[in-house]
Amino acid sequence: MHEGAIAEALLEQVRSFLPDQAVLREVHIDVGRLEHLEEMVLQTFWAALTKGTGEEGSLLSVNVIALQVRCRGCGMEYEPEDPAIMLCPQCGAARPEILQGSGVVLRRMEVEQPD
Amino acid sequence: MDIPVVENVLKLNDEIAAENRRRLGEAGVVCLNLVGSPGSGKTTLLEKTLDSLRGELRIGIITGDIATTRDAERLARFCDHVTQINTGGGCHLDANQVKQGMNNLPVEDLDLLIIENVGNLICPVGFDLGQDAKIGLFSVPEGEDKPAKHPRVVLESALLLLNKIDLLPHVPFSMDVFESDLRKLRDDVPVLKLSAVTGEGLDAWVDWVRQSSTTVKRDRAAATT
Repeated sequence: MHEGAIAEALLEQVRSFLPDQAVLREVHIDVGRLEHLEEMVLQTFWAALTKGTGEEGSLLSVNVIALQVRCRGCGMEYEPEDPAIMLCPQCGAARPEILQGSGVVLRRMEVEQPD
Repeated sequence: MDIPVVENVLKLNDEIAAENRRRLGEAGVVCLNLVGSPGSGKTTLLEKTLDSLRGELRIGIITGDIATTRDAERLARFCDHVTQINTGGGCHLDANQVKQGMNNLPVEDLDLLIIENVGNLICPVGFDLGQDAKIGLFSVPEGEDKPAKHPRVVLESALLLLNKIDLLPHVPFSMDVFESDLRKLRDDVPVLKLSAVTGEGLDAWVDWVRQSSTTVKRDRAAATT
Protein backbone atom coordinates (compact mmCIF):
# COMPACT_ATOMS: atom_id res chain seq x y z
CA MET A 1 0.00 0.00 0.00
CA HIS A 2 2.62 2.56 -0.99
CA GLU A 3 0.12 4.23 -3.33
CA GLY A 4 -0.23 7.11 -0.84
CA ALA A 5 3.50 7.89 -0.96
CA ILE A 6 3.50 7.69 -4.75
CA ALA A 7 0.43 9.94 -5.07
CA GLU A 8 1.99 12.51 -2.72
CA ALA A 9 5.25 12.57 -4.66
CA LEU A 10 3.32 12.81 -7.92
CA LEU A 11 1.19 15.75 -6.76
CA GLU A 12 4.27 17.68 -5.65
CA GLN A 13 5.89 16.97 -9.01
CA VAL A 14 2.78 17.93 -11.00
CA ARG A 15 2.56 21.25 -9.13
CA SER A 16 6.19 22.00 -9.98
CA PHE A 17 5.35 21.74 -13.70
CA LEU A 18 1.94 23.43 -13.61
CA PRO A 19 1.98 26.92 -15.17
CA ASP A 20 0.50 29.77 -13.12
CA GLN A 21 -3.24 30.15 -13.62
CA ALA A 22 -3.50 26.83 -15.47
CA VAL A 23 -6.25 24.42 -14.43
CA LEU A 24 -5.18 20.79 -14.24
CA ARG A 25 -7.49 18.40 -16.10
CA GLU A 26 -5.67 15.10 -16.29
CA VAL A 27 -2.37 13.55 -15.31
CA HIS A 28 -0.95 10.59 -17.22
CA ILE A 29 1.50 8.24 -15.55
CA ASP A 30 3.26 5.03 -16.58
CA VAL A 31 3.42 2.37 -13.88
CA GLY A 32 5.70 -0.63 -14.29
CA ARG A 33 4.09 -4.03 -13.87
CA LEU A 34 6.57 -4.88 -11.12
CA GLU A 35 5.50 -1.95 -8.96
CA HIS A 36 2.43 -3.67 -7.48
CA LEU A 37 0.51 -0.39 -7.59
CA GLU A 38 -3.27 -0.58 -7.85
CA GLU A 39 -4.82 1.90 -10.24
CA MET A 40 -8.00 2.40 -8.22
CA VAL A 41 -6.08 2.91 -4.98
CA LEU A 42 -3.84 5.48 -6.68
CA GLN A 43 -6.94 7.29 -7.94
CA THR A 44 -8.54 7.26 -4.50
CA PHE A 45 -5.41 8.80 -2.97
CA TRP A 46 -5.26 11.30 -5.81
CA ALA A 47 -8.85 12.43 -5.21
CA ALA A 48 -8.24 12.68 -1.46
CA LEU A 49 -4.99 14.63 -1.77
CA THR A 50 -6.35 17.12 -4.32
CA LYS A 51 -9.67 17.70 -2.53
CA GLY A 52 -10.04 21.36 -1.58
CA THR A 53 -6.98 22.35 -3.64
CA GLY A 54 -6.55 23.89 -7.07
CA GLU A 55 -6.14 20.39 -8.52
CA GLU A 56 -9.48 19.11 -7.22
CA GLY A 57 -11.44 17.30 -9.91
CA SER A 58 -8.40 16.42 -12.01
CA LEU A 59 -8.17 12.86 -13.30
CA LEU A 60 -5.32 10.41 -12.91
CA SER A 61 -4.79 8.10 -15.83
CA VAL A 62 -2.61 5.03 -15.27
CA ASN A 63 -0.87 3.18 -18.09
CA VAL A 64 0.61 -0.15 -16.97
CA ILE A 65 3.94 -0.93 -18.65
CA ALA A 66 4.61 -4.56 -19.47
CA LEU A 67 7.79 -6.28 -18.42
CA GLN A 68 10.68 -6.39 -20.82
CA VAL A 69 13.96 -8.01 -19.82
CA ARG A 70 17.33 -8.92 -21.27
CA CYS A 71 18.87 -12.29 -20.42
CA ARG A 72 22.24 -11.85 -18.72
CA GLY A 73 23.06 -15.36 -19.92
CA CYS A 74 22.63 -15.05 -23.70
CA GLY A 75 21.52 -11.46 -24.32
CA MET A 76 18.05 -12.38 -25.62
CA GLU A 77 15.37 -9.74 -25.04
CA TYR A 78 11.93 -11.02 -24.12
CA GLU A 79 8.67 -10.09 -22.40
CA PRO A 80 7.77 -12.42 -19.53
CA GLU A 81 3.99 -12.71 -19.26
CA ASP A 82 4.09 -13.87 -15.66
CA PRO A 83 6.34 -11.72 -13.43
CA ALA A 84 7.07 -14.82 -11.35
CA ILE A 85 8.56 -16.69 -14.32
CA MET A 86 11.61 -15.10 -15.90
CA LEU A 87 13.04 -18.13 -17.72
CA CYS A 88 14.72 -17.13 -20.97
CA PRO A 89 12.94 -18.67 -23.97
CA GLN A 90 16.30 -19.05 -25.76
CA CYS A 91 18.75 -20.43 -23.18
CA GLY A 92 16.53 -21.27 -20.18
CA ALA A 93 18.49 -19.12 -17.73
CA ALA A 94 16.73 -16.91 -15.16
CA ARG A 95 19.07 -13.95 -15.03
CA PRO A 96 16.90 -11.06 -16.16
CA GLU A 97 18.05 -7.50 -16.42
CA ILE A 98 14.90 -5.39 -16.22
CA LEU A 99 14.66 -3.09 -19.26
CA GLN A 100 11.09 -1.98 -18.77
CA GLY A 101 8.31 -2.62 -16.26
CA SER A 102 9.59 -1.03 -13.08
CA GLY A 103 9.30 2.53 -11.88
CA VAL A 104 6.63 5.21 -12.08
CA VAL A 105 6.94 8.00 -14.63
CA LEU A 106 4.93 11.19 -15.03
CA ARG A 107 4.38 11.30 -18.81
CA ARG A 108 2.24 14.32 -19.43
CA MET A 109 -0.38 16.66 -18.02
CA GLU A 110 -3.49 18.08 -19.66
CA VAL A 111 -4.22 21.61 -18.54
CA GLU A 112 -6.55 24.43 -19.47
CA GLN A 113 -5.23 27.96 -19.69
CA PRO A 114 -7.69 30.76 -18.90
CA ASP A 115 -8.28 33.14 -21.79
CA MET B 1 -3.08 22.09 -23.72
CA ASP B 2 -0.70 19.20 -23.26
CA ILE B 3 2.44 19.48 -21.14
CA PRO B 4 4.86 16.65 -21.80
CA VAL B 5 7.04 15.82 -18.79
CA VAL B 6 8.59 12.32 -18.71
CA GLU B 7 10.11 12.37 -15.25
CA ASN B 8 10.50 9.67 -12.61
CA VAL B 9 7.91 10.26 -9.87
CA LEU B 10 10.42 9.16 -7.22
CA LYS B 11 13.10 11.50 -8.59
CA LEU B 12 13.40 13.35 -5.28
CA ASN B 13 13.75 10.09 -3.34
CA ASP B 14 16.36 8.85 -5.80
CA GLU B 15 18.35 12.06 -5.55
CA ILE B 16 18.46 11.82 -1.76
CA ALA B 17 19.37 8.12 -2.04
CA ALA B 18 22.28 9.07 -4.30
CA GLU B 19 23.34 11.67 -1.71
CA ASN B 20 23.20 9.00 1.05
CA ARG B 21 25.20 6.62 -1.14
CA ARG B 22 27.83 9.28 -1.79
CA ARG B 23 28.16 10.13 1.89
CA LEU B 24 28.46 6.47 2.87
CA GLY B 25 30.96 5.83 0.07
CA GLU B 26 33.15 8.75 1.14
CA ALA B 27 33.06 7.51 4.73
CA GLY B 28 33.95 3.97 3.61
CA VAL B 29 30.73 2.56 5.07
CA VAL B 30 29.02 -0.45 3.46
CA CYS B 31 25.22 -0.27 3.62
CA LEU B 32 22.80 -3.22 3.59
CA ASN B 33 19.00 -2.86 3.35
CA LEU B 34 17.20 -5.78 4.99
CA VAL B 35 13.68 -6.41 3.67
CA GLY B 36 11.26 -9.01 5.02
CA SER B 37 7.71 -9.57 6.22
CA PRO B 38 6.54 -8.65 9.73
CA GLY B 39 7.55 -11.50 12.01
CA SER B 40 10.06 -13.00 9.60
CA GLY B 41 12.81 -12.54 12.18
CA LYS B 42 14.67 -9.46 10.96
CA THR B 43 15.37 -8.09 14.43
CA THR B 44 16.36 -11.45 15.89
CA LEU B 45 18.72 -12.01 12.96
CA LEU B 46 20.29 -8.60 13.56
CA GLU B 47 20.68 -9.27 17.29
CA LYS B 48 22.65 -12.44 16.47
CA THR B 49 24.60 -10.70 13.71
CA LEU B 50 25.63 -7.85 15.99
CA ASP B 51 26.61 -10.31 18.70
CA SER B 52 28.77 -12.29 16.25
CA LEU B 53 30.55 -9.25 14.81
CA ARG B 54 31.02 -7.37 18.07
CA GLY B 55 34.56 -5.99 18.30
CA GLU B 56 35.22 -6.88 14.65
CA LEU B 57 33.18 -4.39 12.61
CA ARG B 58 31.85 -1.02 13.75
CA ILE B 59 28.16 -1.34 12.93
CA GLY B 60 25.33 1.17 12.92
CA ILE B 61 21.66 0.27 12.65
CA ILE B 62 18.71 2.23 11.32
CA THR B 63 15.55 0.37 12.19
CA GLY B 64 12.24 1.35 10.67
CA ASP B 65 8.89 0.63 12.20
CA ILE B 66 5.36 1.91 11.91
CA ALA B 67 5.30 2.54 15.67
CA THR B 68 7.13 1.69 18.93
CA THR B 69 10.84 1.70 19.76
CA ARG B 70 10.92 -1.99 20.65
CA ASP B 71 13.30 -3.04 17.88
CA ALA B 72 15.76 -0.27 18.68
CA GLU B 73 15.67 -1.19 22.37
CA ARG B 74 16.37 -4.84 21.55
CA LEU B 75 19.24 -3.99 19.21
CA ALA B 76 20.76 -1.39 21.55
CA ARG B 77 21.69 -4.26 23.87
CA PHE B 78 24.16 -5.41 21.21
CA CYS B 79 25.24 -2.18 19.56
CA ASP B 80 25.95 1.41 20.62
CA HIS B 81 24.81 2.95 17.36
CA VAL B 82 21.12 2.26 16.86
CA THR B 83 18.52 4.74 15.68
CA GLN B 84 14.80 4.16 15.25
CA ILE B 85 12.63 5.68 12.56
CA ASN B 86 8.89 5.60 13.15
CA THR B 87 7.09 5.95 9.87
CA GLY B 88 3.74 6.73 11.52
CA GLY B 89 1.83 4.29 9.38
CA GLY B 90 4.12 4.37 6.35
CA CYS B 91 4.76 0.90 4.97
CA HIS B 92 8.38 1.48 3.91
CA LEU B 93 11.41 3.63 4.59
CA ASP B 94 12.31 6.35 2.12
CA ALA B 95 15.69 7.91 1.41
CA ASN B 96 14.95 11.07 3.37
CA GLN B 97 14.13 9.10 6.52
CA VAL B 98 17.41 7.21 6.15
CA LYS B 99 19.24 10.51 5.66
CA GLN B 100 17.77 11.73 8.96
CA GLY B 101 18.64 8.40 10.59
CA MET B 102 22.22 8.75 9.37
CA ASN B 103 22.39 12.16 11.02
CA ASN B 104 21.71 10.45 14.37
CA LEU B 105 24.66 8.08 13.90
CA PRO B 106 28.44 8.63 13.86
CA VAL B 107 28.49 7.55 10.20
CA GLU B 108 32.12 8.47 9.61
CA ASP B 109 33.19 6.08 12.41
CA LEU B 110 31.32 3.04 11.06
CA ASP B 111 32.32 0.13 8.82
CA LEU B 112 28.82 -1.12 8.17
CA LEU B 113 25.33 0.38 8.24
CA ILE B 114 22.40 -2.03 8.30
CA ILE B 115 18.93 -0.70 7.59
CA GLU B 116 16.13 -2.84 8.96
CA ASN B 117 13.22 -1.85 6.75
CA VAL B 118 9.57 -1.77 7.82
CA GLY B 119 8.13 -5.32 7.81
CA ASN B 120 6.72 -5.65 4.30
CA LEU B 121 7.75 -7.52 1.16
CA ILE B 122 6.23 -5.15 -1.39
CA CYS B 123 6.52 -1.44 -0.64
CA PRO B 124 10.15 -1.20 0.59
CA VAL B 125 11.52 -2.71 -2.59
CA GLY B 126 10.63 0.26 -4.80
CA PHE B 127 12.42 2.87 -2.69
CA ASP B 128 16.16 3.29 -3.11
CA LEU B 129 17.71 4.26 0.22
CA GLY B 130 21.34 4.53 -0.89
CA GLN B 131 22.23 0.95 0.05
CA ASP B 132 24.94 -1.14 -1.58
CA ALA B 133 22.82 -4.28 -1.44
CA LYS B 134 19.29 -5.36 -0.62
CA ILE B 135 18.83 -8.56 1.33
CA GLY B 136 15.50 -10.34 1.05
CA LEU B 137 14.48 -12.34 4.09
CA PHE B 138 11.83 -15.06 3.93
CA SER B 139 10.88 -17.41 6.74
CA VAL B 140 9.53 -20.94 6.81
CA PRO B 141 6.15 -20.25 8.52
CA GLU B 142 5.25 -17.71 5.82
CA GLY B 143 5.00 -20.57 3.37
CA GLU B 144 6.94 -21.64 0.29
CA ASP B 145 5.02 -19.36 -2.08
CA LYS B 146 6.51 -16.03 -1.00
CA PRO B 147 9.17 -15.74 -3.76
CA ALA B 148 6.58 -16.37 -6.50
CA LYS B 149 4.20 -13.85 -4.91
CA HIS B 150 6.89 -11.20 -4.42
CA PRO B 151 9.10 -11.44 -7.48
CA ARG B 152 10.60 -8.01 -7.20
CA VAL B 153 12.34 -8.65 -3.88
CA VAL B 154 13.91 -11.74 -5.48
CA LEU B 155 14.91 -9.82 -8.61
CA GLU B 156 16.57 -6.98 -6.71
CA SER B 157 18.27 -8.72 -3.79
CA ALA B 158 21.98 -9.50 -3.70
CA LEU B 159 21.29 -12.30 -1.23
CA LEU B 160 18.19 -14.17 -0.07
CA LEU B 161 17.77 -15.68 3.36
CA LEU B 162 15.35 -18.35 4.50
CA ASN B 163 14.96 -18.03 8.26
CA LYS B 164 13.35 -20.32 10.88
CA ILE B 165 14.50 -23.58 9.29
CA ASP B 166 14.23 -25.11 12.78
CA LEU B 167 10.45 -25.03 12.21
CA LEU B 168 10.58 -27.15 9.03
CA PRO B 169 9.47 -30.34 10.84
CA HIS B 170 6.49 -28.53 12.40
CA VAL B 171 4.87 -26.46 9.66
CA PRO B 172 3.80 -27.22 6.10
CA PHE B 173 6.54 -25.92 3.79
CA SER B 174 7.67 -27.44 0.51
CA MET B 175 11.37 -26.76 0.04
CA ASP B 176 11.11 -28.14 -3.52
CA VAL B 177 8.47 -25.58 -4.48
CA PHE B 178 10.34 -22.75 -2.73
CA GLU B 179 13.56 -23.58 -4.56
CA SER B 180 12.03 -24.24 -7.96
CA ASP B 181 9.98 -21.00 -7.79
CA LEU B 182 13.13 -19.09 -6.91
CA ARG B 183 15.06 -20.59 -9.81
CA LYS B 184 12.35 -19.51 -12.24
CA LEU B 185 13.02 -15.94 -11.15
CA ARG B 186 16.77 -15.87 -10.55
CA ASP B 187 19.24 -18.70 -10.91
CA ASP B 188 22.21 -16.60 -9.85
CA VAL B 189 21.18 -15.30 -6.42
CA PRO B 190 22.74 -16.97 -3.38
CA VAL B 191 20.26 -18.36 -0.85
CA LEU B 192 21.27 -19.05 2.73
CA LYS B 193 19.08 -21.14 5.02
CA LEU B 194 19.35 -20.48 8.70
CA SER B 195 17.68 -20.24 12.05
CA ALA B 196 18.44 -17.04 13.92
CA VAL B 197 17.05 -18.68 17.08
CA THR B 198 19.05 -21.92 17.12
CA GLY B 199 22.07 -20.45 15.31
CA GLU B 200 22.02 -23.09 12.56
CA GLY B 201 23.41 -21.65 9.34
CA LEU B 202 24.21 -18.33 10.99
CA ASP B 203 27.97 -18.56 10.36
CA ALA B 204 27.49 -18.52 6.58
CA TRP B 205 25.40 -15.36 6.85
CA VAL B 206 27.89 -13.63 9.15
CA ASP B 207 30.66 -14.60 6.71
CA TRP B 208 28.65 -13.10 3.86
CA VAL B 209 28.32 -9.83 5.82
CA ARG B 210 32.07 -9.82 6.51
CA GLN B 211 32.83 -10.43 2.85
CA SER B 212 30.32 -7.87 1.58
CA SER B 213 32.11 -5.31 3.69
CA THR B 214 35.37 -6.19 1.93
CA THR B 215 34.04 -6.66 -1.62
CA VAL B 216 31.96 -3.48 -1.69
CA LYS B 217 34.97 -1.43 -0.60
CA ARG B 218 37.17 -3.14 -3.17
CA ASP B 219 34.62 -2.51 -5.94
CA ARG B 220 34.38 1.14 -4.95
CA ALA B 221 38.16 1.50 -4.96
CA ALA B 222 38.31 -0.14 -8.41
CA ALA B 223 35.56 2.19 -9.68
CA THR B 224 37.48 5.32 -8.67
CA THR B 225 40.89 4.32 -10.08
